[in-house]
Amino acid sequence: MSERDLKNDSAKQTTSYGQRAASYWSVDGLPEILRGLAFVILFAVPCLWRIYAPTHWPRAGSLISFTGLFLYFFGAERVVLDFLKSRITYPRTGYVQPPERDWFGSRTPVPLSLRPSQPYFLSTFSPSPTVSENATSFWPGNVRPLLGFSVLCLAGRELLGHWLVPLAMPALAVTLYVVNRNSEIPYSWWWALILALTGLPFLWVNVPAALPGGLPFLLAGGWLVGQGVYTLVNYLRMNPYPVAAEGAHA
Amino acid sequence: MTPRAQEIAQLDRMIHEPARLTIMLILDGVSEADFLYLQREGGFTQGNLSGHLAKLEEAGYVQIEKKFKGKVPLTVCRLTSEGQAAFSGYSRRMVDILNSNGAAG
Repeated sequence: MSERDLKNDSAKQTTSYGQRAASYWSVDGLPEILRGLAFVILFAVPCLWRIYAPTHWPRAGSLISFTGLFLYFFGAERVVLDFLKSRITYPRTGYVQPPERDWFGSRTPVPLSLRPSQPYFLSTFSPSPTVSENATSFWPGNVRPLLGFSVLCLAGRELLGHWLVPLAMPALAVTLYVVNRNSEIPYSWWWALILALTGLPFLWVNVPAALPGGLPFLLAGGWLVGQGVYTLVNYLRMNPYPVAAEGAHA
Repeated sequence: MTPRAQEIAQLDRMIHEPARLTIMLILDGVSEADFLYLQREGGFTQGNLSGHLAKLEEAGYVQIEKKFKGKVPLTVCRLTSEGQAAFSGYSRRMVDILNSNGAAG
């Protein structure tokens, strides 16, 4: 990164170093790509199961995908991310391990901090949520609304019929935009608009019977992957691989 | 010497230097960070950062470890418990000094 970029970075520095470390975790788009792929799989497995194994345990596909995703989110994701980041991100812009997750309270160990402490699990619902210092705040900021919406979609698919997806996607886009507006990776309004518009074609397109109310998963997953790829391309363009490897200092 | 001047004189000079204060602030906000991240985040040159890290390590405030993430060699730095205590004490003292000055008008 050039000196100019460093200056631009510091001009945006309105948060603590912990918050910057947390946002750095997402600077390369890799977490969003992986999460997006996870949501696409969550949607695709039950659909494929319904198509290819319709008579044998119709719920097994959902069970497999939920179990797989549970294992992925609570274990494998970090390993995969570390593997990818050690080849893409750390050599380019360095390595940092943000503060450990604290599910029930924000971390305020330094008396210099003037930020009021707020229970972490309440921060998402606050009208003016504090910025989390946590790398894994992608979970409440992103995955929680998606999972919440998926439950609503599954519950409302009979009632709303073909209006389900066109209505769900704008609602999901607004929720993600609002929930993440003060996060370390706020979504731009035009990315939210893209997500909102993904539901529109389904006013005219008939959703096949194999596609259950979880269609928003596929769209939101694709949206996350798209956004992650966009971020990754920008990151790679701005941070070419360094000529001299880091390591022989200090 | 006034009590306030005494308090200021008692500030930990190892931390009080701007570059080292920046390093301590960064490391206090994270679990650990490597040399490259510190260099970019603090706007340091390699030599400058090396020198200040060596001093902080000598004081026992920072632990420096060479390790690998995949095949990438990293010089990883983190605050020691002594460093955390020293930084916490420094920042508390600094806030007290600034607050007492504000209260005095």
